[in-house]
Amino acid sequence: MSHDTHHAPVASKLELAPERSDLGLIRPDRSTGWADWLTTVDHKKIGIMYGAFAMLFFLLGGVEALAIRTQLSRPDNDFVTARMYNQLFTMHGTTMIFLGVMPLSAAFFNFLVPLQIGARDVAFPRLNAFSLWTFVAGALVLNSSWLFEFGHLSGWFNNFDWYKSLVYTDFAPANGWFSYAPLSGTFGQANAALQAPRFTGVGTDFWIIGLQILGVASLAASFNFICTIINMRAKGMTMMRLPVFTWMTLVTSILIILAFPAITVALIELMFDRQFGANFFNPSAGGQPILWQHLFWIFGHPEVYILVLPAMGIVSEVLPTFSGKSLFGYPIIVFSGAVIGFLGFAVWSHHMFTTGLGAVPTAAFALLTMAIAVPTGVKIFNWLGTLWGGRIRFTPPMVLSLGFIWMFMCGGFSGVMHSAAPADAQQQDSYFVIAHFHYVLLGGVLLGLMSGLYFWFPKIFGRMPNAPIAYIASGLVILGFNLAFGPMHYLGLAGQPRRTHTYHAGNGWETWNYVATIGAFILGIGIFLAFANLVWTAFKGKKCSPDPWDGRTLEWSLPSPVPEYNFARSPIIATRDAYNEDKYGEKKIGYENDGGEAGIHMPSQSWMPLVAGFGFLMIGIGMPLIAMGVPHAGWVVISGLGVMFLGILLWALEGPGGYMLKTPTPSSPAPVTANTSSY
Amino acid sequence: MSQVAESSHAPTSTGIDHKKLIMWLFLASDCMFFGTLISTHLLYRKLYPTGFTDAEGHQRFIQNLFNIELTSFSTFILLMSSFLMALAVSAMHKGQIKSFRRNILGVIFFGLIFLGCQVYEFTHFLHQGLTIQNSVFGSTFYVLTGTHGTHVAIGVLWLIILYFYSFTGKLVGHMGALDVEIAGLYWHFVDIVWIIIFTAVYLVEYLGPTGFWGTGLPLTK
Repeated sequence: MSHDTHHAPVASKLELAPERSDLGLIRPDRSTGWADWLTTVDHKKIGIMYGAFAMLFFLLGGVEALAIRTQLSRPDNDFVTARMYNQLFTMHGTTMIFLGVMPLSAAFFNFLVPLQIGARDVAFPRLNAFSLWTFVAGALVLNSSWLFEFGHLSGWFNNFDWYKSLVYTDFAPANGWFSYAPLSGTFGQANAALQAPRFTGVGTDFWIIGLQILGVASLAASFNFICTIINMRAKGMTMMRLPVFTWMTLVTSILIILAFPAITVALIELMFDRQFGANFFNPSAGGQPILWQHLFWIFGHPEVYILVLPAMGIVSEVLPTFSGKSLFGYPIIVFSGAVIGFLGFAVWSHHMFTTGLGAVPTAAFALLTMAIAVPTGVKIFNWLGTLWGGRIRFTPPMVLSLGFIWMFMCGGFSGVMHSAAPADAQQQDSYFVIAHFHYVLLGGVLLGLMSGLYFWFPKIFGRMPNAPIAYIASGLVILGFNLAFGPMHYLGLAGQPRRTHTYHAGNGWETWNYVATIGAFILGIGIFLAFANLVWTAFKGKKCSPDPWDGRTLEWSLPSPVPEYNFARSPIIATRDAYNEDKYGEKKIGYENDGGEAGIHMPSQSWMPLVAGFGFLMIGIGMPLIAMGVPHAGWVVISGLGVMFLGILLWALEGPGGYMLKTPTPSSPAPVTANTSSY
Repeated sequence: MSQVAESSHAPTSTGIDHKKLIMWLFLASDCMFFGTLISTHLLYRKLYPTGFTDAEGHQRFIQNLFNIELTSFSTFILLMSSFLMALAVSAMHKGQIKSFRRNILGVIFFGLIFLGCQVYEFTHFLHQGLTIQNSVFGSTFYVLTGTHGTHVAIGVLWLIILYFYSFTGKLVGHMGALDVEIAGLYWHFVDIVWIIIFTAVYLVEYLGPTGFWGTGLPLTK
């Protein structure tokens, strides 16, 4: 295709003459500092921003969790009110899943996938920036509900007419992360303003629109990554030579594009119920609340695998590196990952065993759920096979990955217990379920992601995290985690219900709740320490070689930090674990000088993804304002729609642009430094 | 939207252009989207086969509400718009920009007729007493067909932008043809979804002596 580059290749984008887009506006290509970060289309910078936002929201969700545990530390506690407690656990779950784990996974997708497949960027760099800013908009919408809640508690709104007419005043979401209808919906007849009476306050409206916007971000990112992985592999990088992390990114992205439409529709229907008086889930008009459960879990169960598969991919990269062996049973690991993704669509009703589905569906869903344990178990055995006979180095990422296997397995076992429908009927809505999914999501996913952070941080910033602090933090996380969630198995089987803000003394729950709270605080300190160590490393850490771990995949062949064009010359791949083979084996990585005299084509930066994201922010704040009855709030939504459409239109019309960078002279290959004796 | 995506110079691994691949991925996702909406409608239709109750409290049959002749006409128009779209894509591939403009104007015109029919239909149904608030049927019908209408409207907007863009001289060559082809993929998809909606929402009401759901108005010869 033609592009509008009228200059000779430059050594740095700062040498560019002012370049105009097709619209005549000057492109922000030469910007530096904050404007550079706001307009960047570089997958590495976008990945870093995803990671920074994700860690921030992780800490926020962690504070919410600690407030919950403080409230439950002793019986009949009144640290927070019941209404506040509902908002805390709802926002904790929503924040951790959608603003913590998913964007942290997205950070790895962004940073690693192009490097691992030997590409210079993702297929659609500006769409990638759009995903980031839309995610930020959704996150701000969800969390702005706390500002309204704070204003409500502080009495700021007392003089406003719209405030006086509100029936329910939970301004932050308060339905649980799955917002079951009819609690999240309406009842009775709609009034002249098209609104039917509701069970909950505008927090639910924040939740609906916030999740909708986050869904747009996830979908856009997933289209982009599938396209990148399928279409932008370097020469010789066949599908069965892809690093496992890239494979799991592909499976996760396919899950996202097929699962998110279900929640999108469910959210649209719920929004129509709440804001336009429709009857999708309104029981008094014939709506079926059970439909919400089906639609939610058709999305919600694949979502569980959307959360865990990237962490499995990370572990599949860390274990071979620190065992000094290639991954045991690579094709089986890839295949079982795909099978997990496929089966993930066929088990949603195991979340609904107690709703009375009937014997046949219950049995079918129980069997399919048990079947998922097979590919998962296959993965665990393959990881153990990777460790077997290896020269194991207990580096911080390795410790965290081993923790992943151990903790995830515990969560898997209690998961198999849930798959037996009669047992599930006893465990439903008890702390046993909390214990189960925290073992999977925290002991599993978070340990995996932390392992990834400690593994790739030296590549991202060229600096090595402080090892002693990393070990202490990993120890605190694993210890605190087991102390917090281990006892919940017992508490659940002893009958303590979920989502209940307090309990009376005398049920035998006091001791273990107290222990769990202590564990939660140890866990909190551990995670804070681990994150603080990383932030410190990013700015002040000790510089390290480009390949400090003796890595096996392509990204370790690049300098640290990775230059903006990634590969000065595109690699030609001859085998799996290409860089390891290049260092120690026969099959070297070939390079083609595809830039040559013309230079390396770089995409132009753009303000438009940020503008479109800002439009989403206005829509997201405006919709709950309408639900509150704030006058003229509709104009906020309409102008938000306008800003969004304008952003996308100008983005389309400004043209892809691009400029040429001089092809750097190939430097001597990065020195092979297998010396990690400090570990 | 035609230039939303940057394409790299390098040939892609599969030989399929990035833009075309991402459009197919979007359509796969949109299949699930409409699948969920249509399922919602059909589930409630099975659960409440007797139609709806209007504002005066009268029981109303769906066959009395629908104007199947009008909807058949608008369905035919949308099908023909797909035909014109195919001609427009073909013209672009041959580099016949004038023929492209003529055909794309036809697609836009037919798309607007379809939207006009839908606006008329919605207004007519409102007068007949079917609102989004007074029944589950109203909720599922308006949201499903309204969402499809929104897709058509976005498509029309997209084609209008492409039409005017073609006068800038930038819609040329292989990439120009590709941009039009991708818009065509979207347009054909929206058309196919309407064929399914027309069948599953409209036509089945006239199936058999009392409609597919079994309790509709007995049809008179």
